[in-house]
Amino acid sequence: MRLFITTILIIFFAAIAELLSPWWSIALVSFVFGFMTDLQKWKAFIAGFAGIGLLWLAEVFWIDVDNGHILSEKLAVLFHLPHYSLMILIASLLGAMVGGMSAWSGILARKMFLK
Amino acid sequence: MKYLFMRIFAGLFVCALTITFIFFLDKPLGNMPAIGKLLDPIKGCWVAAEPVNKNIDASFGLPGLQQEAIVWFDERLVAHIQAANDHDLYFIQGYIHAYFRLWQMDMETRAAAGRISEVAGEKALTFDRTQRRKGMVYGAENSLTAMESEPHTKTMIDAYTAGVNKYISSLRYWELPIEYKLMNFKPEQWTNIKTALLLKYMADDLTGYSEDIPLTILRDSLPSSDFNLLFPEKIAEATPVIPTGTVFAKPSLPALQTPNDTVWAHFKMSDFTMSRAEGVGSNSWAISGINTSNGWPILCNDPHLALNLPSLWYEVQLTAPGIDVYGVSLPGAPGVIIGFNDNIAWGFTNNYRDVKDHYLIKPVNNNNKMYWYAGRQMSFSERIEHIQIKGQADFTDTVKYTIHGPVMYDENFEGPGGLKKAIAVCWTGHQATNELLSIYCLNRANDYAAFTDAIIHFECPGQNMVYADRVGNIAMWGQGKFVHKWKGQGRFVMNGADSSASWKDYIPMHENPHVLNPPCGYVSSANQETTDSTYPYWYIGYFKEFRAWRINSLLSSLKHATVQDMFRLQNDTYSILAASVLPDMLNYLPVSLTEDEMKYYEELKKWDYYLRPTSIAATIFQIWWEKLYQNIWQDNFEHIPVKIWPSNERTMQLIKRDSSSKFFNNWKTLAVEHLRDVVSLSYIETIDSIYKLEKGNKTEWYKAKNTAITHLAKLQAFSFNEIKIGGWGNAINAATNDHGPSWRMVVQAGNEMDAYGIYPGGQSGNPGSKYYSDFIADWAQGKYYHLHILKEKNRGKPKNMKYKWEIKVQ
Repeated sequence: MRLFITTILIIFFAAIAELLSPWWSIALVSFVFGFMTDLQKWKAFIAGFAGIGLLWLAEVFWIDVDNGHILSEKLAVLFHLPHYSLMILIASLLGAMVGGMSAWSGILARKMFLK
Repeated sequence: MKYLFMRIFAGLFVCALTITFIFFLDKPLGNMPAIGKLLDPIKGCWVAAEPVNKNIDASFGLPGLQQEAIVWFDERLVAHIQAANDHDLYFIQGYIHAYFRLWQMDMETRAAAGRISEVAGEKALTFDRTQRRKGMVYGAENSLTAMESEPHTKTMIDAYTAGVNKYISSLRYWELPIEYKLMNFKPEQWTNIKTALLLKYMADDLTGYSEDIPLTILRDSLPSSDFNLLFPEKIAEATPVIPTGTVFAKPSLPALQTPNDTVWAHFKMSDFTMSRAEGVGSNSWAISGINTSNGWPILCNDPHLALNLPSLWYEVQLTAPGIDVYGVSLPGAPGVIIGFNDNIAWGFTNNYRDVKDHYLIKPVNNNNKMYWYAGRQMSFSERIEHIQIKGQADFTDTVKYTIHGPVMYDENFEGPGGLKKAIAVCWTGHQATNELLSIYCLNRANDYAAFTDAIIHFECPGQNMVYADRVGNIAMWGQGKFVHKWKGQGRFVMNGADSSASWKDYIPMHENPHVLNPPCGYVSSANQETTDSTYPYWYIGYFKEFRAWRINSLLSSLKHATVQDMFRLQNDTYSILAASVLPDMLNYLPVSLTEDEMKYYEELKKWDYYLRPTSIAATIFQIWWEKLYQNIWQDNFEHIPVKIWPSNERTMQLIKRDSSSKFFNNWKTLAVEHLRDVVSLSYIETIDSIYKLEKGNKTEWYKAKNTAITHLAKLQAFSFNEIKIGGWGNAINAATNDHGPSWRMVVQAGNEMDAYGIYPGGQSGNPGSKYYSDFIADWAQGKYYHLHILKEKNRGKPKNMKYKWEIKVQ
C-alpha cells in the first residue's frame, strides 16, 4: 500500500515539477520520496521506476495519439528502431530508469544517516 | 560499525552513479544530442508532435505593430495576411515565416554566409571557406547597402526583420523547432544582412555555376577543331526563349574588339592535382488568349530547384492598401517572388547567361601584398574571415580582393581539379543590386509598363521573366544585369593583369532580349538559349535545350488550351532525347541478340518515350544512354582533371549526324571502334545493370532514379525517398534524383484570376506537423490545388478559410 501511494505521489509531484523546472527535476522528486518514505530498497526503486515510467509513458502516449504518430515514426527512423511504439517505450524506460535510480539513491542516502 | 561503513559506501556509490547517469543524459556527446533532455515529454522533442486537429485560431497583441491586422489560414495553412499598411504587412510576414520556418531560415542564411561549421562542426569547414572565398558575405553587404538606401525596401526589410525577431524573442527553449534540439544550438537575432544573404544564396544557386576553368583546360589541350565541334558556343537548332524572328533594337553600345591572345590565361596539367563536378533548370510559358479556349491568356511556371524539406517556398497572400498579391515567398525574405495579383501574373526561370568570370592573378614577385594590373603594381585589399567551428578553435582565412573581385582559389584553397593558381572571381552577384525593390514593385504592378519598370531592378540572378495580364498581353524578358562583352570575353579564364579583360559597360536594361505578344501566340522558356544570333550583343551561358524543344513543339500545335491542358503539359514526361536517339541506338544493335537481350530490346521497341514512374523501358533507356555517354567520352577526357564532357544535346547530335566521328573510337584499345560497337558494348553493360536492379526489385523508373526530397540537415528520418514521380532532367517534368519542379503554377487571367499551384512540401517546417509534407503525394501525381484568393474583408469567416489570427496593437 505504501509502495502504491509513494508511486502516485511521485507521479503527481514529478508532473508538476516538469512543468516548472528542467527535465531532471523528476530525479529530485523521486529522490525526495525515496528518502522520506522508508520503503524497502527494492520497493523504493520500483516506486521511482514505475512513477516516472508511467508518467512519461502516459504523456508521450497521449501526445503521440493526438499527433497520429507523425513524429514518433520519424524519431523511430532517427533512432534506428523498427516501430514507433518502441520509440515511446524507450522514452518511457529512460524516464523510468532515472526515476528508479533516483528513488533508490534516496532510500540509500536515508540509510546512511538513519538506521 | 562495519555495516555503517557498508551503508555509507553503498549510498555514496549509488548516488554518484545516479548523478553521473543524469549528467550524461543532460549533456550532448559528440554529435549526439542530450538524450534525456531530448526525450523529455514536456520540453523535449515531443513538443514538436503537433496534434493533427490542432486549432491555431488565436488573438494576441504584437508590440511593434502599427494597426490591427488579420491573418486567415486556409485548409492547407496558406496564410492570407490582411494588414493596414506596408510596415505591418512585412512585419507579419516576417513573424509568420519565423513561426513556421525559423530553423530553415536560420540554416539557409548560415549556409549563405559560410557559418555552418558553427553548428555542424569541422566537416562543414571546406563548404564555409568556399562560401566566404566566393564573396557571399561581401556581395550581401553590398546589396544590403542598396536595400537600406532605398526607402521602400528599407521599410520592407526593417519591418520584416522586426517581425522575425518578435517571434524569436517570444520563444522559450521547449518551443524551439526540433532541429535546434537535435543539433543543440539556439536561434540568434535576425538582421537585415541575413535577408540579403538569403537572396545571394539564391543568386549563387542560379548563377554560381561556371565552366571557365575546365573549358580553359580543354581549349589548351584539344585541337581547336575538336574543341569547337564538341563545345560549340551556341548549340545548333536551338529554339530560343525570345522567338526567332523577333526584331531587336539597334544596340546603343558600340561593338567591342576582341583583344589579342595575351588576354587569356593558360594552365599546364601540372597546375592541377585532382577532380570535382554539376546544374538546374526550369520551365515557364504563357499562352495568349488567341490560343486558349476561353480567350484569356494562361501563364505557367515551374522553377526547378533542389528538392528539400522544409520546402524552399512558403505560399502566402499579402494584402494591404496598394497591394493584393498571391504566390510563393522565400522564408527569410519579404514579398512574393513568383505569383500574381488582380491584374498580372509572372514567373521566373533561370536565364543561365554567364555572369561570372575568372581571372588568373599575377602576384608581384616576393611581395604577397601586391599583384599586377595594367602594367602597375596594385595592392590586394584583405578581408579576414573568422569561421567558428563547433567544438574547436576558430579558423581564420584571409581572402585577398583584387580589382576584379575576391581571389577564390590560391595555394591555400585549391580550385576545381586541385588547381593551385590564384584565381579571382568577378560576379554580378557581388554588386550592390536590389532585387527586393523589383519584388516590391512587381507585387504591386498592374500593367505591362509597371511590370517592365519593376523588373529593371532585378539584376542578379538573371531570369527569364514570363508575364501575362488581364488585358490579354503575354511577354517574356531575358532580364538581368549583363556585361557588354567583346566576343569571347569570360568564356575562359582571363589574364587578370590585362585591363582589356576587365568588365566595363553594362548593357542597358531596356536592350535586354524581350518580346511582347509574339505572332505565334505564346512565349516559353526552359533554360535554353535566350536569343538567336541576331541579338546584337555577344553572350554565352549554360543553356539546355531538350525541354524547350518539347515545350515549343507542344505549344506550337496547341489550340483552345485550358488550364487542364497546362497541368498535363507541366507533368509531361516525354523524353525528346529518347525519341530522337533511341531508334538509332536500336538500329546499331547486332541482329543476333541473346534471349535476355531480346527481351529488353522488345521492351524498348514498343516504348512510347514517356518516362512514366512505373516504366521499365524508361529505366533501360536512361541507363543505356548514361553508359553510352560514358563510353563515348570517358577515354577522350580522362586526362582532364575536371570532369567536363560535351552536353547531352551535342552528343545526341553527333550520334545522329556524324556516326563515323573519330570520337566513337576508344583510343585506349588497339582495335578501331565504330558507333555500332560503342552502342552494343553499352547495351550489354545496361543489361547487366538491369539484372542487378531486378534483384533489388528496382527496375521501375521511379525506383531506379530515386527522386528524394531531403531534409536540409540531411536527416533521413525527416526526408522522403523514392517519390513515385516520372520524368527526368530532359523531360518537362524534370524530377531528377534531387532536383525537380519546386512550384508548379498555372494562372489564367480573367475578370478574376483563376490560379492553381503546388509545391513538393508543406506549409509547416515542423517534421512533427501534418502540414510538413502533405503536398508531396499530390505533387508527385501531378495534382494541383485551386488557390484561394481571399477578397472578403469582413469579420465573418470567409469561404475556404479555416483558422484566424487577430493581431492587435500592443
